[in-house]
Amino acid sequence: MKVKIILSLFFTTVLFADISDENTCFDCHQLMDEDLEQNEKVFENILEDIHLQVGLSCTDCHGGNSKTDDEDEAMWDDPTFRGKISKIDQPEICGSCHSDPQYMRQFISSVKTDQVSQYWTSQHGKDLKKGVEKVAACTDCHGLHGIIKANDPRSKVYPLNLPTTCSSCHSDLEYMESFGIPTDQYYLYRSSIHGTSLLDEQHLSAPACNDCHGNHGALPPDVVHIGDICGSCHVNNNALFQKSHLNEIFLTRGIGQCEACHGNHGVKSPTDEYLNWEHGAVCVQCHQTGGLPKDLADYFYHSIDSLKGRIKLAQDLLHEAEQKGMEVSDLYFSVEESQKMLIQSRTNIHSFNKEFISKTAEAGFKSADQAIEGASAALFEFNDRRKWLFLSSLIITILATTVYFKIRDLDRRDLRKNKTKGEEDD
Amino acid sequence: MSLWNWINERVDIKSAKNFAFKKKVPVFYGSIWYYLGGVSLFLFIIQVMTGILLILYYQPGSATAFESVKFIVSKVSYGWLIREVHAWSANLFVLFAFLHMFTVFFSKAYRKPREMTWYSGMILLVLALAFGFSGYLLPWNELAFFATKVGSDIAGAFPVVGDFLLRLLRAGDEVTGATLTRFYGIHIALLPAIFTMILGLHLALVQIQGMSIPPELERIPEKHRRYMPFFPDFAIRDALLWLIVLNIIALLAVFFPWELGTKADPLASAPAGIKPEWYFMFMFETLKLIPSHVMFIEGELFGVLLFTFGAIFWFLVPLLDRKAHRGERSRFWKVVGVVLILYMIMMTLWGYIQ
Repeated sequence: MKVKIILSLFFTTVLFADISDENTCFDCHQLMDEDLEQNEKVFENILEDIHLQVGLSCTDCHGGNSKTDDEDEAMWDDPTFRGKISKIDQPEICGSCHSDPQYMRQFISSVKTDQVSQYWTSQHGKDLKKGVEKVAACTDCHGLHGIIKANDPRSKVYPLNLPTTCSSCHSDLEYMESFGIPTDQYYLYRSSIHGTSLLDEQHLSAPACNDCHGNHGALPPDVVHIGDICGSCHVNNNALFQKSHLNEIFLTRGIGQCEACHGNHGVKSPTDEYLNWEHGAVCVQCHQTGGLPKDLADYFYHSIDSLKGRIKLAQDLLHEAEQKGMEVSDLYFSVEESQKMLIQSRTNIHSFNKEFISKTAEAGFKSADQAIEGASAALFEFNDRRKWLFLSSLIITILATTVYFKIRDLDRRDLRKNKTKGEEDD
Repeated sequence: MSLWNWINERVDIKSAKNFAFKKKVPVFYGSIWYYLGGVSLFLFIIQVMTGILLILYYQPGSATAFESVKFIVSKVSYGWLIREVHAWSANLFVLFAFLHMFTVFFSKAYRKPREMTWYSGMILLVLALAFGFSGYLLPWNELAFFATKVGSDIAGAFPVVGDFLLRLLRAGDEVTGATLTRFYGIHIALLPAIFTMILGLHLALVQIQGMSIPPELERIPEKHRRYMPFFPDFAIRDALLWLIVLNIIALLAVFFPWELGTKADPLASAPAGIKPEWYFMFMFETLKLIPSHVMFIEGELFGVLLFTFGAIFWFLVPLLDRKAHRGERSRFWKVVGVVLILYMIMMTLWGYIQ
């Protein structure tokens, strides 16, 4: 541990000395840092800063002259000096490099340069333009000094950290009061299927805030676009819904497509109970009276439920056959096929088309039945084997018993022979 | 003219029959042990018969071996039975061969003039183990693959010839499809050919020299010793035991089938709890107990040398046990035998318990 501390002190000193040699800003600001608030400290994590690492310096953002020791010459008398950058200026100053593809290409060959233009279309950008300073600008999400690349796990905008970064404002009741929007998004998201997948199971493909709302162009999605946003991952579900008769009705009535049944930030892993009219079917939210929608939901629910039951039966029978030593591994392919059809049927529900679902459910039943038939045949064969074993064992036992009696006969004969021989000898 | 006469005119089968009918088997408290050799022979015959049937469908090769065994047990009529009988009788064969060896050892049947019978029997036991080792890999399942890997690694620990032996066994540096083909050839051609020749010699010696009796019975005058004719008395008892063993195999085949497991994947990591077949367990456990270095010798090499010299020592028992030739029993050899049996049983059990 001691060695680590000494080494890091050594390298820090060497690096600061190196920066300080070329950059007089550090000579003063290093001392001033002590009096600043934690979030304003210039040297906090400065060594991690990607800009510093690629050779940029203080003057590239703040202007001024870093080659002179004179304070006036370095700042106040220098026409390029900008000093502390106000929030309203941040997007354009950052964009002076980040929006220039030719300039950015020297650092990353396939870099995006639309961040600033996107930002001005976001709610954050729009409000900032109106002079609302409480909204997020570049440094609020990416950090002030010590900006780390977005794909670095330590970055504030790395997928695993992003929900916390957004929630630092959006979950602050007091801070968000003036905007009049809810502050429970993070709370709902944290226990949602997306939140648990990303934050607990660390599946980086699970969505964080930016995957639905956009990042630089962050906006609450319109009703029209909800399907497209969810559909960027849930492709088939969205495609089926778009073609369904419900799509038009939802759009006309301003009902969020996926959101109406699945919710938004708190979206849970859907269960088949979503279709169970007796126990919390989501359809009831709109169709309280039952009728045709109820019939359709019942049909869906019973198709799925029966298929699940058939698959379970196939698995149980296969397991039993396997335990009895029967070779049934090929039949698991049929079970896999029926499981695939079960998933497909669940997806097809988004078409709200009875025929469409019955087609995949039937295919699932067919595969499950193949497995059930095969497993039953294997179990029947096992019982058959036992019967034949009993029969052959009986034959062998009878044969063995006959041999045993023959041995006894031979022994008696030998005994008689020996006795006669003994008497003759006497 | 009957067939019997027709054959007899050409090969004098009558004298062979007379020889068999004149053959006598001593009767005493340990006569039961005489049957173990016969049971081993019976199991070997089952192995040959079931093995030939399996060859009809088995396809060696890393892409086909597992699938063909799966086909045999699931699609071929009574294929499962043939495979189960082959697998169970293989295990019983090794068990009875070991039992036969120890009964011969304790009854001092290896003493003059039967040293050659002991030597040929010992070679047959080693060949039986080689049969087991080579046959274990043939289904090309995960357990067999890694057990062969570990087993052939041990062969590689032999001084001087280790590397050569390892490559010879594996047909390369690693256990691959080439190893499987090689093991198949060894299992169905090379070993049966050698085994049959040695077995022929072993049986011929038993016929020529007759059954051995323990030294203390030898002191009893000939006229007071009890005998039974080989035909039909002894043969029919043999038949009874063979029927019982056959019944046991049938029960084991139905109620305790050998799992085929999952197909071997050379790129997968070894599953936990890899164990060799039970008859190699005591050696495997011993090797695990030996520290990484014993004096200046590497642990694995030490273990291999220990078993090699142990086997040579055991092989040469007829030469080393001088008392047996004088018709005396030796306490030393009795202790050696008992300790060896106890050690083998304990280490085997330990391998399965832990």
